[in-house]
Amino acid sequence: MEKNLPEKDDQPKHDAPSPDSSAAISNPNDDHKSTSAKPEDDHKSTGTKPDHDDPKSTAKPDHDDPKSTPKADHHNIDDHDHKSTAKPDDHNANVNPSETAVHLLTDGDDPDYEMKKHHDPNENEIKTENDGQSDPVVVKDPVPEPEPEEDPSLEKVSEDLDRCISSLSSEKNENDDGLSFPEELPKLVEKFMNLVEDEVIAKRDSGESKIKWCQVPEEDASFLEALDRIGRLSKYLSFLGLKFEESHGALINRLGSIQHRALLYLEEEFRMLLEESRHCTEPNTPSAGDKDHNSHGNKGGNNNKQQQDQEQDRCMLPDYSESRGGGDQLQADIFPGYAQEVVNNLNKIAKEMISGGYETECCEVYTISRRLAFDETLHKLGLEKHSLDDIQKMHWEALEREVVSWIKAFKECAAVYFSGERKLAEVVFADYPSISSSLFSNLTRGVIIRLLNFAEGIVISKRSAEKLFKTLDMYEALREVVPKMDNLFPVECVNELKAETTTVRSRLGEAVICIFCDLENSIKADTGRNPVPGGAVHPLTRYMMNYLRNTCEYKETLDLVFREHSKIERADSTSRPDHNYEAGEGMSSGNANEQSDHQSPFYLQLMRVMDLLDSNLEAKAKLYKDSALSSIFMMNNGRYILQKIKGSTEINSCMGDTWCRKRSSGLRQYHKNYQRETWSRLLQCLSHEGLIVHGKVPKPVLKERFKSFNALFDEIHKTQSTWVVSDEQLQSELRVSISAVVIPAYRSFLGRFSQVLDPGRQTEKYIKFQAEDIETYIDELFDGNPNSSIFKKKP
Amino acid sequence: MGATDNQGSFLNRISIRRNQVASMEGNHEQELEDLEHFQKHVADRFSDLLSPSEDFPSDPMLSIAWVRKLLDVFLCCEAEFKAVLLMGRDPSQISKPPLDRLVPEFLDRVVKALDICNAVSHGVDSVRHFQKLAEIAVSALEQRPIGDGQVRRAKKALSALVTGMAVEDKEGGGNKATERSWSFGRRSGVSAPNKDRAVGHFRALSWGMSKGWSAAKQIQAMSSNLVAPKGNEASGLAQPVYIMSTIMLFVMWMLVTAIPCQERTGLMTHFPVPRNLAWAQAMIGLQEKISEEWKKKEKKGSAGLLEEMQKMEKLGQSLIEFSDSFQFPAEAEKLEEVAAQVAELAETCRKMEEGLVPLQQQIRELFHRVVRSRTEVLDVLDQGGKASAPVM
Repeated sequence: MEKNLPEKDDQPKHDAPSPDSSAAISNPNDDHKSTSAKPEDDHKSTGTKPDHDDPKSTAKPDHDDPKSTPKADHHNIDDHDHKSTAKPDDHNANVNPSETAVHLLTDGDDPDYEMKKHHDPNENEIKTENDGQSDPVVVKDPVPEPEPEEDPSLEKVSEDLDRCISSLSSEKNENDDGLSFPEELPKLVEKFMNLVEDEVIAKRDSGESKIKWCQVPEEDASFLEALDRIGRLSKYLSFLGLKFEESHGALINRLGSIQHRALLYLEEEFRMLLEESRHCTEPNTPSAGDKDHNSHGNKGGNNNKQQQDQEQDRCMLPDYSESRGGGDQLQADIFPGYAQEVVNNLNKIAKEMISGGYETECCEVYTISRRLAFDETLHKLGLEKHSLDDIQKMHWEALEREVVSWIKAFKECAAVYFSGERKLAEVVFADYPSISSSLFSNLTRGVIIRLLNFAEGIVISKRSAEKLFKTLDMYEALREVVPKMDNLFPVECVNELKAETTTVRSRLGEAVICIFCDLENSIKADTGRNPVPGGAVHPLTRYMMNYLRNTCEYKETLDLVFREHSKIERADSTSRPDHNYEAGEGMSSGNANEQSDHQSPFYLQLMRVMDLLDSNLEAKAKLYKDSALSSIFMMNNGRYILQKIKGSTEINSCMGDTWCRKRSSGLRQYHKNYQRETWSRLLQCLSHEGLIVHGKVPKPVLKERFKSFNALFDEIHKTQSTWVVSDEQLQSELRVSISAVVIPAYRSFLGRFSQVLDPGRQTEKYIKFQAEDIETYIDELFDGNPNSSIFKKKP
Repeated sequence: MGATDNQGSFLNRISIRRNQVASMEGNHEQELEDLEHFQKHVADRFSDLLSPSEDFPSDPMLSIAWVRKLLDVFLCCEAEFKAVLLMGRDPSQISKPPLDRLVPEFLDRVVKALDICNAVSHGVDSVRHFQKLAEIAVSALEQRPIGDGQVRRAKKALSALVTGMAVEDKEGGGNKATERSWSFGRRSGVSAPNKDRAVGHFRALSWGMSKGWSAAKQIQAMSSNLVAPKGNEASGLAQPVYIMSTIMLFVMWMLVTAIPCQERTGLMTHFPVPRNLAWAQAMIGLQEKISEEWKKKEKKGSAGLLEEMQKMEKLGQSLIEFSDSFQFPAEAEKLEEVAAQVAELAETCRKMEEGLVPLQQQIRELFHRVVRSRTEVLDVLDQGGKASAPVM
């Protein structure tokens, strides 16, 4: 208190009457209205006039109180003149003298005092409180120092008021009637209100140069202090009881109005801070912000270094927005995108609003702003709003892209955005944990349900094999998130959200099972009557093997899915009978002993599909009239299946070595069958049997043999070079094995019988092939060429 | 969510009975009996809603409590429907004409109903926001003495409430509203009077549905191919499918009329239900009553037929009038009148506080139940129609 004395001593020096002040004294009410009533629209003149008349009538008998209002103005104007030398800039804006005066007062007035306040805001209160108790005599003194003649400053009036109130409360303790109060109180309250309204509030919610929150941090502190004092004051006044209320109703009314104005301003600033100081979503700060920044910058010269540092930390951090590279990672890092200083301010304002009784306003503003912001975040993550109906109608290609964004968005929400949102709520409402957790719960519940809704749309969309993998991806995303939810969400909503997530996860799992089991149906349903030309790999085999190979990359998830969700299916009264996986074991019983480690439901399902595929292929093989071609078809398809399995570790480990060995031996059997079917007839032509009768070779028989060999070989070549063996290894295996059988036999046949024929014309006619030719022609087999006869081809 | 489990024992009973009956070859007779029971239950449940028994003091029509009862009725009917349609049934039965057409049509309606559930759930969020605004007014006007500050605070909240309801109604709480009021929300320059700030407060908060989604259109689409089965079909499974479709359509329509919902213009007022069907009488009666209200509403321009909202709007308007003419100090007589209205508003808020969250949960439960049933029906349908349709 003493520290301020020199200033007070200074003030009377400026107390020379000015033309303005005399006018003000003559009509104090009008003057007052011009500053306080004008800015507010609701403030009807009919409503305010009686209010301001009232205090005069009641206060007059005690003091010549009305002076206080013009005095304050008077002081302002003096101060303005005094300051004008230091700040010529402000003179230019002097269009509305009264407003500029008001503006300038706190603008430049007592910077030292403000600083002190800023550093130790509680000092005064504590002191007065102590004073009140230790030395009641001083406090009770109905006539304080000759202050009314001085120009009281806000801090001075505040002090007096605090002192007066504390005396009041100590007195109240003594007299339970609660009716007595210091006579100076109404006057002090009046003075205080005038000052607060003019100096603190009017500059913020009206006029050309409204002050935004955190534009001048030290003033924010004095604003909050004033609001705080108003709150305490109105509590004290109602504490005084009905009599005071009756006699000083207007005072209470005005106090209430001022409080509302201040809180209204805070509400608006709270919203502005929430909505307009996020970096990630609003790259361009509004023009008002720039203007404010400049005006503040001018003033920065008056402030010390520390304040400049503070300034750099405030809402629209220029450095911060420059430093963001724009990458997703960085954006995620800074989510929800408020600078620490802004968050601190949000916290201060929220605290003030809640303690001022404006909790609902505060929460609604917060809720709406954060919902919009989160909505925007989801939009940025590429998440579109789709109704379930739309999802049913969308093409899978388009939907697939949406699924990809969904998975990304869902994971990022779980990893970054939810916890960021929670932290924000916890810091802004640090003193009110139940408020912060309910705000956060409500917000995230909406987001989670919206996200899950999309998954729901995928689940209920028409099932098809192509959707399996994206469905599995979604399933995995949900599976990863569920265990983390306990840490992400507060107790009151975590169970609901977990249940929701788990439900959708189960539905995705069931959809996966259905899609996978539909493979069986699609195999069963593939009953085309037209064999693939040339015995080549059937499209069904290709499709299934590629599909299964991809499927096996999800082996672990699928195992889990089958384990967890097929139970539900089976328990269900409408479940299909074929979902009995124990039965599947029987079908692959050959492996049962060796591969007991493979008894996973997925493996069993996989074996069912493989078995079905096999039997389907066997049925298809029967479509060929030529049983040799049937064998080639089976070899082709079998080889393709084996190659696919060997080509991928996942599916290979699923099927196991034993299975592959069994497969290979099966294929060798087809090979043998083929060889027998095709080449044994040809080899009979080369048989020596029946060619040597009594030591002689009968020429007609030999000629017949050569003829039929030539014809048969030509026939085989013609047919089988149209056949297809696309697997090179299989192709060469076949050719080698054919050559190994045919060429030695032919060579020895030629060696033994060629000289029987007459050289020249006869030889030429019957010996069409040399052994080397045979080899060449064998190498032309299985090329899928529609070859004509060898003989026509030959020149 | 537990609803599906709750039905388990009931459904099993039917299933066991059905299986026994089936083995005795008395299938059709049993089926007719089941169908008759189903129709009777539907009729009884809805007439309870239309004219509840005198013995109990009942909730007024379209109040939150009443809407919750309606949803209960829906859930009961749905469970019974599923039992009638599916339990112990040979899948081939519902994959034969005309069911092979009627059931997929039904399932399509279900998807639209699910969207409506979501939209209405957003609508409940809006109602909660209105509740909060009303609570602000209540807490301001409960203070004594009532001064300018309190009155202004209440007026701001109530104006936001009343304007918000009007906007919800006009714009359907959809994207348009969000965008429009978004611009209100900005402090629009120096000259912006405080009035605009009040408007900024009500910015729609619902997540909304996708752009262009319209509740009215969905309702229309649900009813477009809904035709009562005739002749032989009327005694077969086509009948329960038709009944359930009608119930679903009615309940969704009712939700859309009661609760703010995206795009309600052109919400049909005529129900395509023949008047001679016994089970539909009560539903038609309800529908007529609500349609009347809706017509009044369309003239008046209020947000939704929900009783509590209507009351809130009426009280809100009256209290705004009070605040417009308020002068400190208020006359004692006026204060008494206001106190009564504030008490009523507080009571309405209390009802909302008690009812809205459970209502939202119930809508969610309905959503889950309907999804689950749809899947089950689809499974059976698939099973019946297998082998003929290759997946590839």
